Amino acid sequence: MIELLTGMLTTAVIAGGVLALAGMGELLTERVGVFNLGLEGLMSLGAVGAVIVVNAGYSPAAAVAVVMALGLVLGAIFALGTVALRADQVLCGIALTFLGVGFAAWIGRPYSGQIVHTQFAPIAIPFLSDLPIIGKAFFQQNILVYFGYVALPLLVHLLFFHTRHGINLRAVGENPAAADAAGVSVQMIRFGYVMVGSALAACAGAYLTLAFVPAWTEGLVAGRGWIALGLVTFANFMPLQVTLGAILFGTLSSFGFAAQANGWPVPSVVFTIMPYVGTVAFLFIRALSQRGSHRLIMGPAALGHPYFRDER
Amino acid sequence: MAELESATIPSPDGSANPPMVEMRGIDKSFPGIIANAAVNLDIRPGEVHALLGENGAGKSTLMNILTGIYQPDAGVILVDGQPVSFRKPADAIAAGVGMVHQHFKLVQAFTVAENLHLGFRETPLVVSRAILRRRTEDLEQRYSLKVSPEAPIYRLSAGEQQRVEILKALSRGAKLLILDEPTAVLTTEEARLLFRVIRQLTADGFSVVFISHKLDEVLDISDRITVLRSGRKIATVLAADADHKMLANLMVGHAVTPDSQQRPQTAREPVIALRRVTTASEQGVCGLDHIDLTLYSGEILGVAGVAGNGQRELSETLTGLRPPTEGSIDIAGADVTRSDARVFVEAGIGHIPEDRLRSGIAATLSLTRNAILREYPKAPLSFGPWLREKAARTFVDALLKTANVAAPSVTMPIRNLSGGNQQRFVVARETRVATRALIAAYPTRGLDIAATETVRSALVALRNAGVAVMVISEDLDELLSLADRLIVLYGGRVIGERQAPWNRDDLGMLMGGRVDDRN
Amino acid sequence: MTAISSDKLMPSPPAKRWRLHRLPNVDRKRRMIAYGLSLLIWFILVGAGLALASFPVKDIAIRSISATLGSSYGLQQTLTLAAPLILTGAAVAVAMRIGIWNIGGEGQFYFGAWAAAGVGLFLPEGPAWFMLTLMAAAAAIAGAIWIVIPAVGRAYLGISEIITTLLLSFVASFLVYYLAAGPWRDPVVPTQAATARIVYELPALDDGAHLGILIALGAVAVLGLFLNYSKWGYEVIIAGANRDVAVYAGIPIRRRIIEVMLISGLLAGLAGMIELTGVVHRLQGGISNQYGALGIPIAAVAGGSLTGVAIVAGFFAILLNIGVSLQTQGLSVHSVLGITGLLLFIIAAAEAAARFSFRRVATS
Repeated sequence: MIELLTGMLTTAVIAGGVLALAGMGELLTERVGVFNLGLEGLMSLGAVGAVIVVNAGYSPAAAVAVVMALGLVLGAIFALGTVALRADQVLCGIALTFLGVGFAAWIGRPYSGQIVHTQFAPIAIPFLSDLPIIGKAFFQQNILVYFGYVALPLLVHLLFFHTRHGINLRAVGENPAAADAAGVSVQMIRFGYVMVGSALAACAGAYLTLAFVPAWTEGLVAGRGWIALGLVTFANFMPLQVTLGAILFGTLSSFGFAAQANGWPVPSVVFTIMPYVGTVAFLFIRALSQRGSHRLIMGPAALGHPYFRDER
Repeated sequence: MAELESATIPSPDGSANPPMVEMRGIDKSFPGIIANAAVNLDIRPGEVHALLGENGAGKSTLMNILTGIYQPDAGVILVDGQPVSFRKPADAIAAGVGMVHQHFKLVQAFTVAENLHLGFRETPLVVSRAILRRRTEDLEQRYSLKVSPEAPIYRLSAGEQQRVEILKALSRGAKLLILDEPTAVLTTEEARLLFRVIRQLTADGFSVVFISHKLDEVLDISDRITVLRSGRKIATVLAADADHKMLANLMVGHAVTPDSQQRPQTAREPVIALRRVTTASEQGVCGLDHIDLTLYSGEILGVAGVAGNGQRELSETLTGLRPPTEGSIDIAGADVTRSDARVFVEAGIGHIPEDRLRSGIAATLSLTRNAILREYPKAPLSFGPWLREKAARTFVDALLKTANVAAPSVTMPIRNLSGGNQQRFVVARETRVATRALIAAYPTRGLDIAATETVRSALVALRNAGVAVMVISEDLDELLSLADRLIVLYGGRVIGERQAPWNRDDLGMLMGGRVDDRN
Repeated sequence: MTAISSDKLMPSPPAKRWRLHRLPNVDRKRRMIAYGLSLLIWFILVGAGLALASFPVKDIAIRSISATLGSSYGLQQTLTLAAPLILTGAAVAVAMRIGIWNIGGEGQFYFGAWAAAGVGLFLPEGPAWFMLTLMAAAAAIAGAIWIVIPAVGRAYLGISEIITTLLLSFVASFLVYYLAAGPWRDPVVPTQAATARIVYELPALDDGAHLGILIALGAVAVLGLFLNYSKWGYEVIIAGANRDVAVYAGIPIRRRIIEVMLISGLLAGLAGMIELTGVVHRLQGGISNQYGALGIPIAAVAGGSLTGVAIVAGFFAILLNIGVSLQTQGLSVHSVLGITGLLLFIIAAAEAAARFSFRRVATS
C-alpha cells in the first residue's frame, strides 16, 4: 500500500511538472493580455530540441538552456505578429502549434523511440527525503521539478503582487489604455512576457524528454499544451493555483500508473483520457461556480485584445 | 469677435510671467478628418482656463496631443518657455502635465492604492498592501483629497473615481491639470465638491484646463475661455467679459435662436404605459424603481437627468430589451411585459440606441444587411424562411433616399460611410419602424450641426405626425427646446415632471436629486 | 497645411518624416496584395527549407505538379483527398460566421467515423445505398453530439470553445484507437490495429474518385444557400459581426450559437464517414490524415467564405497529395501540417500588416 501511494504521488509530481512549467509560462503571457495558443508546438520543439542537444553530447542543463533560448526566439516571432502587427491571436497561435508539431516531427525522426540516456538526476533533499511516502515523492526529484513547483510559482507570485513591476504588468492585461496613460510601456511588456512564456513552454517540452518519458516520439506532447491552456483559466489566473492544478492533473495521470501496477481491470484508455476530460470538467465547474460573482469573470479584462493607442 | 493677444491681458497673479504651457500652430488630422488646424493656446500659472466647443470641435484631440497620446502633425509645445516634444504619455507626465480623462483610465479590478502606484517611478520596487495603503494615506494628506485606499475601483462612484484620477495626476507632479468634461458623470453635489477642489488647487499655484460644453459651469469656474470650432481656435476671452449668448455664438458660428415648437392640437392618446416597472440593479448601476410613466401620441417627452440614473434601463425596457422584474408594460392596451424585442418592433416602437454606432449597426457588414435589420422577419423582405434579395435592394435604396445619404454601393461595409451618414442611416431606419413611438437615447450626441438639425427636425416631424417620441439627453438646452413635457430621472425614479415654461434652477435641483414641495 | 504668420512666434518650416498609420479598413486591393505576397514568401521559405534538407526541390516540384494535376490518376487522388477537407474546412468556416472557433474537427471526424463504422459493422445487412445513407446520418449526428458539450459551455457559460473542442478531439482519437485495436479488432487479421473491412463502400465516379466529393460539395452548397439567403443565415451573420446589434435586433444569440456549432460538428462527422467508406474501409487509429486539423487553415485562408473553402481545400489536397507521396522520402503527414502552419502564420501577419500604411507628416 505504501509502495503504491508513494509510486502514485511520485508519478503525480513528475507528470504534473510539465503542466506546472507550461502553465506558468502561459499564465505570464495571458496576464499581460495575450493568448498564446502555440504551446503545443513550442513544447514539441522543446522536447525534440532537448533530445538533439543531449545526443550531441551536451549536458541536460545545456539542453534546457538551448531550448529556452529557442523558445525566446520563437516567442519573439509570435509577439512580432500578435503584439506588434496586431494579427489575430488565435490564428497565429494555431499556426505556431502546427509549425511546431510538424517541424518537430520532421527533425525528430532520426531520434524516434530512442531512450535518452543523459537525463536529469534526482537530487535528494537531506532529512526531508527520508520521510515516508512524501519523502520520495516531493523531495527526491530532479531540479526542474523543484524549479517548476517551488521556485517558479513563488517568483511569479512575488512578482505579481509584491513588486512595482507587478502592478504595471497586471495593468497591461486588465486595461492597457490606463497603463499606457500612466506611462507604462504596454507593447514592450507584452512582447517580453510572450517571450518568457514561450521559453517556459519550451522548457516544459525539454522536461518531457529529459525528465519524464524520456524519449522522443512523434506526437509526444499529446495535447498537454492544450491542457495547460485550460489549466490557466481553471486556476483563475493565479500562480499558486496553477501549481496546484498541475499536481491535480498529475494525480489524474497517476491513476493510470496505479492501474497498470495493480492490474486493475479497467482499459488503459480510460486513464489516458482522464486528464482531458478532467480539464473540460474542471472548466465547467469553475464557470458554474463563478456565475454569481461579476468581477474577474474568466481573466484579465483585456485578454485577447490587441492594444491600439492612436485609434480614432 | 477679434482674437485677444495673450500678451495684453494681465494674468491672475498680476505679473507678466511667461505662460506655464503654450501650444503654437498645432495641426493634427486623421484619415478623412482634420481634427486641429493651426491652434494656439496658452495657460498661465494659477488660472482656470476653459476649453469650450461642441462635439468634434477638436478639444479632446488637442489635449491628447498635450498629454503625449497623439503626436501633432505640425506645431510646437512650450513648457515654461522651453520647447518640448512629447513622444509618449510619460514625457508629458514628466513635464508636469496631468490629465483626468472623461472616461477614466483606471483599472477596474485594482484597488485605489494600486491604481495610484501604477507606472509610477516613485513606487518602491518592493511593495505590499500595507506599504501601498500608507503611501496613499500620505498623498491624501498632502493634497487634502479623500479617497479609499483599499477599495476596488469598480465599487466607487463616479465622483470618487474622479478624485482618484486627480490625486493620481497630482502625485505624478502635475502642475497643469487637464479635466475633460469632468461634470458629465457627476451629480450636482459632486460637481460642487469638484469646483471647490479646483479653486483650492489654483490658489496653491496649479493651473487647470477645464474642457466642457456646458456654458453655466464654464462661466462659473474659469478665468479665461478659449473657444474651438471645427478644429480651429476662434477666440480667447476673459470669463468676466463673456456671457451665454456670446459663447454660444462663438461655438456655433451664428446666432442661436431657440426653436419654437408649434404642437398641433391633436388629442393625446396613451401609447406606451409603464406601471410600477422595476428592473434589477447590477454592478453599481441603478435599475428602475417602480416607475409609472405614460408616453402619449403626438408628444415629445424629454427625459433629463445625469447619466447613470436609469436612462439606459428605461430605454431598454421601453423597447423590449430588458424585461421588468416587477410591474407591467402595455402598448395601446396590449400587455407586452414578457415580450421580447421583436414584439416591440412589430408594435411600431422604434429605438435609436445610445451608442448607435456600436450597437445600432454592424460596422463590417453591408448597407443592405444593416438596413433590413429591424424588418427582415416579415414580408416583403422575407418569404417563409428565405430573405428576398430584390425586396431588400429596393428597401435599402429607399432608405438611403429618406436618410439623404449618397452611397457609391449598397454592398460596401457601412463603416465606409462617415459618422454623420451612419447616424442619419440609423435614424431613418428607426423612424420607419416607429409608427407608434420612437425612443431616442442621446440622438444628437456626436453629431455636427447639420446632422443635429436633421435629427431634431425628424423628431419634430414624427411628433407632428402623431407618433409618441421620447428623447433622453444630457443636453438640457436641447431638451428644453424640443420637449413638450419633461421628466427628470434620479436613482431610477421619476423624481419630477414639468411642462413649459421651464425653470432651469428648478430642473437643475431635480437632476441633483433635490425634490421640492412642488409635485 | 501649416499657416505661418508672425515669424518670431512660429518655428522654422517643419521637417517631414514618414510615420506609420493604421487604417480602419482594408480594401480589396490591399488584401489581394497581402495574400499574393504571403504565398510568394511561403513558397520561397518552403523551397529553401526543403533544399536545406537536401531534397531536390525543383525535381519534386515538377514531379508533384505533373503527378497531381498532370495525370488522370493524380487528379482523382486530389479529389479524393479534397472531399473530407472541403467538409472540415466548411465546418470551421461556418463556425467563424458566428465568431466561434471549432478546432476540434479532428475529434468530430473520428467520432463520426466511429458511428458510421458501428452501423456498418454491427447492424444487420441491407442494401448498400440504404446502409450508406444510414451511416452518413449516424456520422453526422455523432459529429454533432461530440460538439454539444463545448457548444453548451460556450453559449451558456462563456467557456472557451477553443480549449474544449480541442481537448475532446484528443479524447475521440484515443477512444477510436482503443476500439479499433481492442474490442472491435478484426479477428481475421489480428495483427492490424483495425476493424474488419466494412462491406459498404462509396461508389466510385468514373472509376476514380469516390462519391464523397459530390457529397461534400453538395452539403457545402446547401449550407451556403442557407447561410446567404435565409433568415437564419442572416441572423447568424449579424450575431457574428456584432453581438450588441444582434441583441438589439432581437436575435436569439445563444440558440444560434448552438445551432451553428452543431452544424459544424455535423459536417466534420460526415467527413469521417466519407473517408471511412470511400478510402480506408476499416475503422483504425490513424484514419485521419489530419483532415480535421487542416480544416482550420483552409477556412482561415479562405477568409470564411464557403466557395473559398472549396477552392482552398483543392489547393490543400494537392499539398497533402505531395506530402503523402513524399512519405517515402522522409516527409511525414505532420510535416504537411507544419508547412500549412507556416502559411497560416504568414497570412495572418500579412493581413495585419496590410492595415498599416506610411504617411508623410511634419514633426516639430
